[in-house]
Parts: sequence; C-alpha cells; structure tokens
Amino acid sequence: MQFVTSGLVRAIVVILLAFSLFVDGAGYVYRVVNHYPLTGPVPGLPPNFSGWQLYMHYGLDLRGGTDIQLQLAGFPPGQDRQSVQQRFIEVIQKRVNALGVSEPTVQPGGGGNHDRVEVQLPGVSTSEAVKLLGQKGKLVITKWVPDSSITAAPYPGFKPEITKMTSDMLTSASAGLNPQTGIGWVVNFQFNSEGAGIFNQLTTDAYNVCQSQGTGAAQCHVTNWLDLTPDDIAQWNTRGPDLSRSVDQGGHLISDPSIPNGPIPNGQGYIEGNFSQDSAKNLAILFNSGSIPVDFTVLSSYEVGASLGATSIKLSVAAALLGLLVVIVFMVAFYRLPGLLASLALLCYAGVVLAVFKMVPVTLTLAGLAGFILSVGMAVDANVLIFERFKEEMRAGRTIGAAVDAAVRRAWPAIRDSNTSTLITSLVLIFAAPIQVKGFAITLAIGVVISLVSAIIITHNMLAIVLNFGWARSGGLLGVARGRA
Amino acid sequence: MAAEDAAPPAVAAPTRRLDIIGRRNIFFGISLLIIIPGIVSMVANGFRLGIDFAGGNEFFLAFQERPTQQQVEAAVAQEGVNGLVQQTGNGTFIVRTSQMTPSARDRFKTDLEKRVGPIDEANSRDDEVGATIAGETVRSAALSIVAASTLILLYLAFRFRKVQGGWRSGFQFGGSALLALLHDVFLLCGIFSILGTVFKLRIGEIDSLFLTAVLTVVGFSVHDTIVVFDRIRENMIVSSRLTFEQVVNLSIMQTAARSIITSFTVVLVLLSLLLFGGDTLKGFALALLIGIVSGAYSSIFNATPLLVVWRRLQPVRR
Repeated sequence: MQFVTSGLVRAIVVILLAFSLFVDGAGYVYRVVNHYPLTGPVPGLPPNFSGWQLYMHYGLDLRGGTDIQLQLAGFPPGQDRQSVQQRFIEVIQKRVNALGVSEPTVQPGGGGNHDRVEVQLPGVSTSEAVKLLGQKGKLVITKWVPDSSITAAPYPGFKPEITKMTSDMLTSASAGLNPQTGIGWVVNFQFNSEGAGIFNQLTTDAYNVCQSQGTGAAQCHVTNWLDLTPDDIAQWNTRGPDLSRSVDQGGHLISDPSIPNGPIPNGQGYIEGNFSQDSAKNLAILFNSGSIPVDFTVLSSYEVGASLGATSIKLSVAAALLGLLVVIVFMVAFYRLPGLLASLALLCYAGVVLAVFKMVPVTLTLAGLAGFILSVGMAVDANVLIFERFKEEMRAGRTIGAAVDAAVRRAWPAIRDSNTSTLITSLVLIFAAPIQVKGFAITLAIGVVISLVSAIIITHNMLAIVLNFGWARSGGLLGVARGRA
Repeated sequence: MAAEDAAPPAVAAPTRRLDIIGRRNIFFGISLLIIIPGIVSMVANGFRLGIDFAGGNEFFLAFQERPTQQQVEAAVAQEGVNGLVQQTGNGTFIVRTSQMTPSARDRFKTDLEKRVGPIDEANSRDDEVGATIAGETVRSAALSIVAASTLILLYLAFRFRKVQGGWRSGFQFGGSALLALLHDVFLLCGIFSILGTVFKLRIGEIDSLFLTAVLTVVGFSVHDTIVVFDRIRENMIVSSRLTFEQVVNLSIMQTAARSIITSFTVVLVLLSLLLFGGDTLKGFALALLIGIVSGAYSSIFNATPLLVVWRRLQPVRR
C-alpha cells in the first residue's frame, strides 16, 4: 500500500485531474470570455477538435436534432411495398452510420401504404441531413453521342448516353487526397470485374478520340453524374445546361474528365470534382451505401427539440441533482470527514469521466446517462465499503493509520470482483448488443474502470493526507467511537 | 505489512444477530409470491408495448396561436395517450402517441384544439408509424445478457475456487449469484407485465428505456451479491471454527450496513426522480427502483440462503 500513497502516484493523479479539468472546461472558458451562451454550438467553436468533442454532444432524446420526413413514390410494380420500404430503410441506415451519427432513429411510416420514412439525427444540421438523405445517390457514367438536334451546352451537337455502369458495380469508394498531386480531395473508386471491363472499353474509346481530335472534343470525355435519369436526357435541350452544373450548385454533374493519358484497364481510379473534404466524404458514403430501390422526395425537414420533451428533461435533471445533493448530505452526516472526502472524490471522478466521454467521443443519451449514474453508484459503493471497513478496523483496536491501510486492502477484493463482473457485462454488450444498448454499455464500462482507480487511489490518498493533521484524528470527525494516534 | 496481516482480523461480533439462514423459507416464499404471478402474467398477457416496440401515431401539429411547448405538453398529458411532444424549429409540434383508432385521432385533435387553440389544418398532418425497435433487437440484447451471465459465472467460479471445495465451490458461489440475478430480472419484468396488462397502467408500458433499466439492474444485482459473497470468502478463511451457516449469517450481518446504505443512496436519487422528475422518465425511474430494491433484497435473502442450500445438497469436504 506504500506505493499507492507515494509522491509519484499523487503527482500522476494531480496531473490527470488537471488535464481532465482542462478538457472539461476549456470550451466553457472560451464561451465565457467571448460572451457566448454556455450550451449549444457557437461560432468559432467547432463541435470536434481532431476527434475530441469541444463540448458535450447529446442524443436525440435529450437535446434533439434534425427530423426529416421522406415520401416514397414510384414503387417497382409487383414487389411487396413493405419490403421495398425495408430495403430503403437499410440504405438510409448505412448512410447515417457512415456519417458517424450515434443513435439515430429511422422509423417506417405511412401505415398500410408503407410510403413514408422518418429519420431523426442528433447533432446534424438540416442542410447537412438533406444533402445526405435527399439524394438517391446513384453514380451514373455517360459517354457523349452525336445528336444534331442538340443545341444546348456543354457540347452542342452531342448528348450524354447512359452506360451500363452504375454504382452497383462499385466494390468500394472512399474519400482521399489526390494521389498524384497530393492536393485537393478526390473520391477513389474500384469497380468489380464486370464494371472494369465496361470502363476499359469506355476509356479506350474516349482515349482514341482524344488522340485524333484533341481534348476539347465531346467524345474525349467520360462524364460522372449523380442521379441523372433517361428522362433528363430526353429533354436535354431544355434541361441540359441546368443539369450540367455541379452538384454543389444544384446540378447533377460530378465531373467531366477527358481521357488523354490512355485507357483505364483495371476498373480503378478517382474522381476529381473540386471537392471539399466533406463533399468527397459524402459522395463516397452515397456510393457505398448502395442504390435506393424507389423514388422519393423530402417531405419536410425541421430542427427538432428533445424527443423526451424539454420540460420533462428539465424537471428530471433538477430531480436528479436534488437526489445527488441528498446523497452527499447523507454521506457527510453518516461518515463525517470521510464522507466529505468521498463526496470530493466523487466530484473528481465525475470530472475525469466527463473528460473521457469527450475524448472517446461519446454522444450522451438518457441510456448513456443511466450507465454513468450506475457507475457513480458503484463509485459511492466502493467508498462505503472502505469506510465501513475502516470503522470495523478501528473497533478491532487498530491505530488510525493502520486502520486506513487495512480497510483499503480488505475492501479491495469485493470492489475488484464486483466491478469486474460489471465490466464483463458491459464489454459483452458493447461488442454483441444492438446499437440501442451500446451507449449504455460504453458509458458504464468507462465509468467502472475509472471508479475502480478513483476509489482505491483518490480516496485512500485523501484519507492519508488529511489524517496527517492532528485535528482530523478525532473520533467525532471520523465517525468512530474513539480516535487513537 | 506482514505483522499487520498476522494481527487478529476485524470480526468483532455484531451485537444483535438475526438468523436469516434459519428463516430462509420465509424469504424464498416472499420472492415466489411476487415472481410466480409475474411469470403467469408474462406468459398469459405479455407486456403492454410502448411506441418503440409497437409503433403508434404521429401528429404534426401547427397551431394558429403559437403555444409554448409546456402548454402543448400539458394538454397532451391530459389525454392519457402516452404522448411525447417535440417542438420543431418552425414552431410546429411533433406528437407521438400509442396506437389510436381514426375516431380517437379526431377526438384527440379536437380536445387539443379546445385546450391549446385552433389547429392550422393546412400545415398539419398525421401518420401511422412503425416500431423503431425490432423484435430482433430485444432478442440480441437478451442473448448478450445470457452470454455476459455465463462469463460472470466463470469469473466468479475462478475467483471463489480457493475457498474449501475448489472449483465446485466456486460454481456454487457463481451459480447462486446468477440465480439471484434471474430473480431480479423476472421480478422486474413480472411486475411491469402485471402493471401494464392487469392494471392497464401507462407506467407499465415497456420501451427502450425499460430495456436500459433491466440492464442496469443486472449490473447492480451481481454487484450487491458479490459484496456479501466476498465477506463469506474472507470469513471462511479467518474463522474456521464456525459452521458454514454461522459464517454466512455473520457475513450478512457485517455487510448489512453497507448493503442498506448503498441501496438507500440509490433509492434516494430514484425516488426524487419518480416524485419530481418529468413524466416521460417516470416509468424508467420506477423500473430502476423496483430492480434496485429487489437486487438488495435478493443478495441478502435469496443468494446467500441459496448458497447454503446448495452446499447442503452438494457437500464439500471441510
């Protein structure tokens, strides 16, 4: 036990605490200094800094997010509507998960018609959400064919023709930096063998035209579109110029490269399109999540408040704080000085846990809070175990110092075994349980590991330090019948 | 340190001894009295399913006179349809309720108009929505609890293998702890089944929060039991003159203060949540309250007597 109370351990604990407080508080200091409100997003303070949250993120149930209603239409004939809706939901879920949104809800609606889907996403703005969910997300690759009736831009006398290549032939797509220049974001893609064959033919044809007519010729280009339809091409003279604007500007064009450097035989390449990191990432997500089996439109999109009801949450937070206050009063009344120290240790514990939540990062939902509160309960319990033991050891006639040591040592197996069991449960849940349960399991696991350390090290050290003072060694303050030096 | 270890252990005799092991049949009886009706109700009636599991109705309501969220929440609460109210950015409200017939939906809207003011029909609509939690989710959550329980059993058997009787004894300790855990889960689910289906109370409706509550209770239950078992392990080593029953009784007395204090502190927080907290969290608070009390009870009055019975049926040499 000498090691636990050594100066080295104390120094490490103090450094860790200071670092946690910095992680907890830096965002608030920024807000106070700049006169911003204490919660929610503020200018100049991005939600994350290299993976760490700058302020705590809350789930739909506690803080709300964006609600999008999607209206399905044009169901493929002869297919069961409910299973089409189900496949639609699967694609949407893939996109949402790829964005890293934690605990979204995706809910089928429309009753027997099966023609509505509601999506709620925490911590995502309406415009971001519409960008991600409002498109079918189908990569369409065209070549240019001569058509004398076409007068519209970009290539009068030519219209696009949809090739058989679709995003269904993609085996993977990912956002990355341009592999040749290292500057600017691109979407890397890899086609399967069927796609690679078609792509080889397509690029060979284009390369030949580039050789003979130069890169300005329409047929030297192989063009990438998002969700271009045969209908669009049929009315190319009227729609063409609008459609040929980039996706960011409301058009459907992703990129229109020429093929001057030779055919691409292996189905591997990248799309350049003046992407930002976000737009390249979104495009890769769209391509990877598969194609949507049905047409749909965005019926409405709103920012929404907490799904549990704002009033209910306010009341509940107040009630929980009241409960915690009562617990602290009770601990101090019952255990006197050690109870006070335990309450202090609890504050340190909560500070460290919240810092870890921000670093992991964890999006806090009610279930996650339940996991956290359960771990607080276990941290209190570890302290109670040590103090009860301390009283016993004093009754058995030990000196105060020896009693503290013995209490920590003898309470340890129970603390270790009970916390290990809880840790086993939470780890199994993290790896095997459905997504609705993971938030709970993650916060519980983090809490238990930290409570194990804090109960033994922080409480023990606090007791040891305070008991160096003569005034602290009275039986009254320690809650035992008598105090011996 | 070595001298410390050799010093007499702190097993000062408690002043007053209750014979819990001797009266174990009473305690088993009390548990069965609650659990059996619960299981009957679960098998016969199942549960009252909340909107997460069963789906329900969703109303998009735009009111002509912009009410506050509190006003709408208060009006919806009076309807008794377990409504959740979410305010949207443009001042409309999304209200989710349990399933309603078309006529009940109309009545619901008329009632709201009376309490809050006229609805702007052009910008309002309602919809039937499906479940957000599939039956599959519950099954995989249940399976992971089974997996976790098995691992806990193995861990406890490993930790308690050093008491007299080796691994067999270890499995007795682990098994008793697991039975107490099952006791708590069945008791909690049973009471909710009865509340929801027999008494038809909304608070007995189960939703995703109930799932979380069950998991929390699993964590606490094992925790409580292990504290008592750990004391038994220690006392078996230091007081070899006592019979196993005496050791168990002594250990319960020695840990009783801790068990009561810990559970009491948690109960304080939950009670304040149940009495003063928001409506949408009351079912959750009640589930936790039942589970925590049951967990404290079962660790003292079921797990340890079970251990004694088990050791009698399958004795280990001393």
